[in-house]
Amino acid sequence: MTLQIELNGVNKFYGSYHALKNIDLAIEEGTFVALVGPSGCGKSTLLRSLAGLEKISAGEMKIAGARMNDVPPRKRDVAMVFQSYALYPHMTVEENLTYSLRIRGVKKAEALKAAAEVATTTGLSHLMKRYPRELSGGQRQRVAMSRAIIRHPKAFLFDEPLSNLDAALRVHMRKEIRALHDRLGATSVYVTHDQIEAMTMADHVVVMRDGVIEQQGRPLDLYDRPANRFVAGFIGSPAMNFIPAVVEDDGAHLALDLGATKARLSLVAPVAPGASVTVGIRPEHIRIVGAGQGAFNIPVGVVESTGSATYITSATQPELMVVETGRSAASGGELIGLAMDPRQLHIFDAETGKRLEPQKALLDAQITSRAAPHPAAATFSPS
Amino acid sequence: MKRILSSITDGRGFDIGLVSLPLAFLFVLSGLPLVYNVVMSFQEVDMFSLGSFSRPFVGFKNYIDLFAQPETWPILLNTAIFVTASIAGQFLIGFGLALFFWVNFPGASWLRGLFLVSWVMPGLVVGAIWNWILSGDFGVLNFLLRETGVISGNIFWRSDPNYSLWAVIIANIWLGTSFNMILLSVGLSGIPKDLYEAAELDGANAFQRFWTITLPMMRSTIGAIVALGLIFTLQQFDLFAAITSGGPNNTSNVTQYWAWDLSFRQYDFAKGATISVIMIVFVMFASVVYVRSTRHEVRG
Repeated sequence: MTLQIELNGVNKFYGSYHALKNIDLAIEEGTFVALVGPSGCGKSTLLRSLAGLEKISAGEMKIAGARMNDVPPRKRDVAMVFQSYALYPHMTVEENLTYSLRIRGVKKAEALKAAAEVATTTGLSHLMKRYPRELSGGQRQRVAMSRAIIRHPKAFLFDEPLSNLDAALRVHMRKEIRALHDRLGATSVYVTHDQIEAMTMADHVVVMRDGVIEQQGRPLDLYDRPANRFVAGFIGSPAMNFIPAVVEDDGAHLALDLGATKARLSLVAPVAPGASVTVGIRPEHIRIVGAGQGAFNIPVGVVESTGSATYITSATQPELMVVETGRSAASGGELIGLAMDPRQLHIFDAETGKRLEPQKALLDAQITSRAAPHPAAATFSPS
Repeated sequence: MKRILSSITDGRGFDIGLVSLPLAFLFVLSGLPLVYNVVMSFQEVDMFSLGSFSRPFVGFKNYIDLFAQPETWPILLNTAIFVTASIAGQFLIGFGLALFFWVNFPGASWLRGLFLVSWVMPGLVVGAIWNWILSGDFGVLNFLLRETGVISGNIFWRSDPNYSLWAVIIANIWLGTSFNMILLSVGLSGIPKDLYEAAELDGANAFQRFWTITLPMMRSTIGAIVALGLIFTLQQFDLFAAITSGGPNNTSNVTQYWAWDLSFRQYDFAKGATISVIMIVFVMFASVVYVRSTRHEVRG
């Protein structure tokens, strides 16, 4: 596989504001990359820099091996789907699709034929004579994508293309865009603030915050081994629970601070004794057991049921969320026990937020030394 | 009775009441004089019959007489030249300035506001200023043209039959350019920026973007401004009064000035009214274009 997009030490300043900080990114041909992060994290700036709509201040940017730093957008051969779609309002769907071809001087008959082909694949054939204002949101979205497809560009850039659609259509278009990407064998860069979109669509997810890439990798790697507390909290829904804790003197146990509720967990691998850490545990990795039978007990606060799953929030400080599939017998005020697999705990440095990696050899040794399935392996010891 | 009263307080009667007030106002202050003017163009009017409405009806005699006069066609031609050249000049310079300020360099909006000074000035004052600039012996314009080598001898702008109309046109372009610029600036700022970005990514260079995005998106604004330009230039009276008074020998005379001249200097009220009616036809046409183009706005 060849590298289609390469960024080396890319920086972008707006006056004194440092919008992109030393971005390194290598995207192989045919990959679907999602840039994800909260608003203002620089993901859109990065995408617009790729398109050439923003000029990078330092570093190097290559598309298909050619240096692009000073190449104007029209010569980069990349197509972009805008959040607003940016359809030309004074042109029909057909004219919108053929615009780039007409600009390049392609013969009219040829351009119309290309437009008809693309329209067939995107289901726009019956709308060719309509104006954008006469189309629904989903149809406009399709026109915007068709306008990109017709050019056979080196890369597709998507700037939050689904954020103006309603929830049901969004889920549908998610699959459609991914299917299109696979069929065209295209290289796509997709900006979104929605981690579900990033997780479900992308081969490679790049999590950004404050102009910095916090972590990048395959979606499930990010879910399983978040590099820091920010990524851990950003990826996954409902969000990961974070509990402040202190490593006990033996280095093998954690004392959790849940306000009035005190709890103790054992670690699968030793951490420096006395260290202040943050323990992360995903709501879906906690099991509810009878009071006194799990790792520790919590009082139930709020119980929300969606029918397929029940979300239980504890009345502790900080709050803990537990997801149980199906219905739950738990009700507010009740005391329940929580069980969890210590291997699914994520330990972060309380100060830097960085993931504390137990030494791998040690970890493996410990796991093999224990019984294979972990029935509520974390031991409960009343404090 | 009760139904009528309640309809006035909370029904259609109230709406009709609200609409009828401005309509009555328009009818009394615009409609009646207009109708009176049209009626007068079909009557024989002199100083003695001016006070009464029942005057001898003469059919199209006033129109036939008017077009029999030797100065009529030259004056109509002058009007056409004045209107076309003024609109073209105001629009092109105004559009150029609007595009220039659209670049948004530091101080652009401040400078753009300053341009409005020319528009808020009374026509007679503008005429007086341009009388100095255009002056044949010591005018600044002659000085500039002479020093740059464009002309060898002085041009007597206001008294030379070849230039008198253009003297007023130059002043009128100066007067109307900033208004064109402001309206066109508003139109330009209404075009979404991402259209240009999309076009740029689609491979269009600056010239192509102007031709395929800016101009078509500005169509309604341009239609409105040309129609307004026609209406405003046909109303331009002060500059003629201040600069040439229509002379010499009618070479800078136009219909709107001539109508006044006929009515209130030569006391030929019927012919003055006749010329006005001809102008009404053109202005009505322009109004229709204006209303249509502002209604057909293309907005994504």
